[in-house]
Amino acid sequence: MIPTKGGYAVDVPTINVSERARRENASLWSTFRAFGVTFSRLFTSLIKRDMPTISYPEQSRNYSERFRGTHILTVRDDGSLKCVACYMCATICPAECIYIEAAEHPNPEIEKFPKLFNIDMMRCIYCGFCVDACPEEAIVMSREHHQAAYNRNETLYGIEKLMARPGIDAKGPGYRPNRPFSEAKIFDPKSSPTCAIPSVTDERHPAVLYESMIQKRQ
Amino acid sequence: MPKITLNDQTYDVPPGKTIIQLADEVGVQIPRYCYHPDIGIEGSCRMCLVEVEKLPKLVPSCATPITEGMIVRTATPRVLQAVRYAMEFLLLHHPIDCPVCDQSGECWLQDYYMANAGHTSRYPGTEKTRRKKATDLGPLVKLDQERCILCTRCVRFTRNVTHTGEIVVLNRGHASEIAIHGGKPFDNPYSGNVVDICPVGALTSSDFRFKVRSWFLKGTSSVCGGCSTGCNMRIDHSARALGGGIPGESANDGKIYRTVGRRNVDVNQSWLCDEGRLSFHAMERWPRLQSPRATGDARTVDGLLPAIHQRFESIRKEHGDGAVAGLGSATNTNEALFLMKKYFRGQMDFRLGTEMETYLQRQDDLLRRLDKHPNTQGAIHLGLAGTLGGMRGLRMMAESRQIRGMWISYHPQLIGDGEPEILVELQQLIGALDFSVVSTTHEFAWTAGATIVLPMAGWAEETGTYTNFAGRVQIANHAVMPPGGGQPLHSMMSKMLGLAGIQVSADPAAIFEWIAREVPAYTGVDYDAIGPLGMSAQAVTEVKDEEVAR
Repeated sequence: MIPTKGGYAVDVPTINVSERARRENASLWSTFRAFGVTFSRLFTSLIKRDMPTISYPEQSRNYSERFRGTHILTVRDDGSLKCVACYMCATICPAECIYIEAAEHPNPEIEKFPKLFNIDMMRCIYCGFCVDACPEEAIVMSREHHQAAYNRNETLYGIEKLMARPGIDAKGPGYRPNRPFSEAKIFDPKSSPTCAIPSVTDERHPAVLYESMIQKRQ
Repeated sequence: MPKITLNDQTYDVPPGKTIIQLADEVGVQIPRYCYHPDIGIEGSCRMCLVEVEKLPKLVPSCATPITEGMIVRTATPRVLQAVRYAMEFLLLHHPIDCPVCDQSGECWLQDYYMANAGHTSRYPGTEKTRRKKATDLGPLVKLDQERCILCTRCVRFTRNVTHTGEIVVLNRGHASEIAIHGGKPFDNPYSGNVVDICPVGALTSSDFRFKVRSWFLKGTSSVCGGCSTGCNMRIDHSARALGGGIPGESANDGKIYRTVGRRNVDVNQSWLCDEGRLSFHAMERWPRLQSPRATGDARTVDGLLPAIHQRFESIRKEHGDGAVAGLGSATNTNEALFLMKKYFRGQMDFRLGTEMETYLQRQDDLLRRLDKHPNTQGAIHLGLAGTLGGMRGLRMMAESRQIRGMWISYHPQLIGDGEPEILVELQQLIGALDFSVVSTTHEFAWTAGATIVLPMAGWAEETGTYTNFAGRVQIANHAVMPPGGGQPLHSMMSKMLGLAGIQVSADPAAIFEWIAREVPAYTGVDYDAIGPLGMSAQAVTEVKDEEVAR
C-alpha cells in the first residue's frame, strides 16, 4: 500500500542514479568496453557482411502464411469472379467497410454476382472476419499491407483492384483458413487478360459521403 | 360451444374452428408451411401434426375441426418426432443455397430446421435432384423449383383468391412441380402476393430480388397510399444505409426496398395489389424537391414561413378573409388537412379531380378502387368538400379576383400516370393568383409560376392517419426521412398556426386528439387506441347513436 496525499503518492523510494553508478563500479574502462562491442559489431557487419537489418522498404521480410493484409477476390477456373454477392462478409464486418451491390448472373446456376464490391481500406481493421464468413472462399487476405495513397478515393478498392494488383504478385496470398483443403485461385492477368466485371467508384459509398461531410463542415 | 383442452388448458370454442386457428389465437406455436388463413386448407406439408387423445394417429391441426371434449397436445415426443421426419423429407432435395437465396433470413425452412429438426442429411449432396432455377413465371415473380416444397400456397392463392388459376402443380409424385398453366404468364394484378405467402425461397420478387439481404431491413407498419381502399402494409426499409451512411447527415439514411401485405381481415386480408406493392417507386419517379424555391434570402422552410404568414395577413387585411384559401389533396393526412383548414379558417378544399365520384367505386372484385387517393373519405369527414367547388371553383374565384393568395399542397398520386390534366389546371390556378405557396414533394415544371415552393414530406415520410373509403382510420407511420429540407405538411401547418397565435403541437397524436374533439365522425376515437389495424370511425359513431337512442 503506497501512502498517498491528495491523490499523489508520497514517501516513494527514489533512485539516486550517481549512487547506483558508483555501486555498480561504472568507470571509464566500462565505457571503452562498450565501444569495443560497437566496433566489433561494425566489423562483422562490414567485413563478414553479417547484417541483422534490411533496407526496408526496398527489401522486406517474408511474412507469415496467415498474415492478414489487403484483401484478394479469388476467381473460378475460367477466370470469372468467384463471389456470389451473398453479403456474408458485409454482414459480419465490424467496421462496416464492405459495400456490395448484387446483380443477376447470366448463368441461373450461379444466380448472383457482385455488380459492385468495394472495400474502404481506411475503415477496414484487417480482422479477417470476412474471410472466415465467406462460404465460397471468394475473399482471402494477402501479405500486402502498404496503404499509402494521395487521396481518399484511392483507398476505396473496387473489384478490379481487389482481384489483381502488383502487391499480390509481389507478396502472395495471406490468411486462407481452409488451406490446404482448398486452394484459392487468384486472378492472373497473364493467363486471362480480360475479365468482364464492371468496377466503378460509387458516389454513395461511405468514404465519399464522409468526405463531403467534412467539406460541408469546413 | 365445444370445450377443448389444448396443452392442459381448457377453452370454449365456437363450432367449426380448426385446432390451428385456436392455437394461433391463444398463442400456442404449431409449425406449418401449407396452412395460411386466407387461402383455404390443403394439409400437404404434415408439419402441423398434433396428438389428439383417443385417436390412433396424429392429425393435421389445420384440417381438423374442434369437437366436444377433444384433448390436444402439441409438444409430445411423438409429435416432435413426426415434425422432424417431415422436415427431413422436405429438405431431402433442398439445394441449401441459402447464401444466394433471397428468402434467407426470413425462410421458414431455416426457422423450423433450427427450432424443430437439426438433423444431418442422410442423402449425399451430389445425388440431389436438380431442377430448374430462376425461371420467370410472370413480370413480377420468379420461380426456383429446387427450393419449392410443394405446399401449394401459390396454387391455392390463384385458385381461391384471384380465381384466375394460372399456377398449377404439374405431374405426379416425385416429378410434381409448380408451373404456369399452358405457358400463360402469371400476370394478374395481384401476382406479387404469392411471393409474400411463399414460405421458402421458391417464389421471389423480380422487383426486390438481390437488392438487399432481409436482415438489413427494418419493418414499419403503415398503410398503402395508392387508393382509397387503404390496404395495410409493412414497409421494409434500410435501418442504416448498407455499408455506412451517416444518420441524420445523409438522405441515404433510409431507403424503401419493398412493401409487404400486412394481415387485416377487415380491409385487405393479407393481400396487396401489384400497383400498390410497387407504388413506393413513385416517390423516385421524378427528382425530389430538396430545398425551398423563393426570391429573397431565406433558404429554409422555417425561415420562409413567417414571411408567408405576413403576406397572407396583409392580403386578408386588404381584400377580406375570403381572399385567402388553401387547397389540399386527398393524399395528405387527416392531421395536415385539419390544421390547414384551421389556418385558412375553413376557406379550403381538396378536390382536384373526380375523387368524390370515384372513391367508393371498385376497380375489381378484390381490393382496388378507382380513386387513387388514400384519404378522400378523411377529407370529406373534415368538411373540406364545401362550397368552394374544388380546384375548378377555386380557379374561377381566382380568375375573378375573389381569391388573391393560396397555399396549394400537392402530393402526386402513387399509382397512375401523374394526372397531366390536373397539373395543367393547377398551373392556370397559380397563374391567376397574386401570391401562391406550393408545398410539394417533387421538382415539377408546373410550379414554375408559384411565388414560393416548399419541399414537403411524402408518403412513408410522415406519420399521420388516413381514413379509407369505409371510414376506417388507419395510422401510416413514417419509415424514412424526407430528402433535403422537406417537412411534413402538418408540421409546417402547426408552425403557421403558431405564427397566427394558435399554439398547437406538431405531434400527430396531439393533432388527432383535437380532430376527435371537433369532427363528429371521429368522436370517441383515441389515437393510441387506433393501433396497427386501424379503427372504424363509422362503427364508433353507430355505437354512439344506438346508445343515444336507448
